[in-house]
Amino acid sequence: MIRYHPDARFLTDYAAGSLPTSQALCVATHLHYCASCRVKIRDLTELGAELFSRQPAAAVEGAEFDRLMQRIDSQPAAAEGSATIRPINVVSILPRAVHKLTNGNLNELRWRRIGRNVRLSRLNVGDRQRETSLLFIKAGGSVPEHKHKGDEITVILRGSFSDREDKYAVGDFIVRTRRETHRPVASQDQDCLCLTTLDEPIEMSNWLLRLGLSVINRFSWPQAQHQAY
Amino acid sequence: MNPSRNRTMEFDVDQLDGAGASDVRSGHWVDCLSRVAIQRDRTAFREVFDHFAPMVKSFAYKVPSLEQPDQFAEDLLQETMLKVWTKAASFDPKLASPSTWIFTIARNMRIDLLRKQARHVVNMVSMHAEDEDGEVDLEDIWFEDENSDVFNVLAQQRSRRQIHDSLKTLPPEQAYVLEKVYMEDKSHSEVAAELSLPLGTVKSRVRLALSKLKLIVDR
Repeated sequence: MIRYHPDARFLTDYAAGSLPTSQALCVATHLHYCASCRVKIRDLTELGAELFSRQPAAAVEGAEFDRLMQRIDSQPAAAEGSATIRPINVVSILPRAVHKLTNGNLNELRWRRIGRNVRLSRLNVGDRQRETSLLFIKAGGSVPEHKHKGDEITVILRGSFSDREDKYAVGDFIVRTRRETHRPVASQDQDCLCLTTLDEPIEMSNWLLRLGLSVINRFSWPQAQHQAY
Repeated sequence: MNPSRNRTMEFDVDQLDGAGASDVRSGHWVDCLSRVAIQRDRTAFREVFDHFAPMVKSFAYKVPSLEQPDQFAEDLLQETMLKVWTKAASFDPKLASPSTWIFTIARNMRIDLLRKQARHVVNMVSMHAEDEDGEVDLEDIWFEDENSDVFNVLAQQRSRRQIHDSLKTLPPEQAYVLEKVYMEDKSHSEVAAELSLPLGTVKSRVRLALSKLKLIVDR
């Protein structure tokens, strides 16, 4: 049961297309799990289409249509229709964009060690202002207490975690604003995988740095678990 | 004919004359798009182009501080209409109305062009191409919802009509903020910065507008 949803601000900016890519990725990931927000996005997209249709018309010359048709005629015809067909047997349990970013293979990612129970793998979503990662917390493990300089969005892909305030489950869209301190702990019964994006890198407490934040290793993903994806 | 039946008929006609008129037109564009998809009908495509191209261009010009607005508008028009032509077969009137479908294409193409421009500028400055591998496709993030189970054409038409009718009744400051968010490619935070308003004020204006339009209300 999803209890934490993106607020009207995130949904509107997403539907309008003005949300930064990494945050839009988080909203899209939430939408993968949340039918009620998908309905809202449809309505908000309708609003966009209505505003779009009401704009005063800009001048368009006939030459622009001719240029377009020339381009169309110079395209290889075979590529046209077939490009839109998506094979239906390639279904991933991971949300579509996350699947694409990871090639659906979490084992092959570069996982950075944070303490004993936490691994982090950075994703490149083409957003230079933010840092976007997959965060893995072993069952019962916890992310060291940290403060944010910027806002942090977390969406749970698997398992659950809790912090001082509540317990969060798959699909939950959790926003932590700057200067909030928190310490997520994964539930005992299952490993937790999250997508997370930060406006500015985290201020980690000192001991964490000593634990070797910069050690890059290939994290081996337990086989049975990987197949669950 | 019995008078009460007649009144019912009139009521239906009223429905059509109101916002319903745009639905009638919408049927026409559905028809054109299917002719483009199936017969590669250029006359139908020209009709779609003539109707939507001016909106696409306006939508391009709304982006603030473009270096070459005319070039950008032309590029956005070309890319959007090329997609309309190539993807016409994937247009499904059960999932979206033609104007909504074309709006989402234009929106995604605009994000894409702006992102390419930004990358170009950064690369010029840093003099080396940044890691582009593994970058996500915009259409995976701003995807078309293909789950027709949560979709209800009637509900969608109703909400479009609702939006159409109640947009006129919005107080100017609310309409203004919506326009900025949707048309000018500005997030809430950017609108707040531009108007020197607290983020909370922008958020509440949008929220008030959305609840007037009966769209979403925060839980």
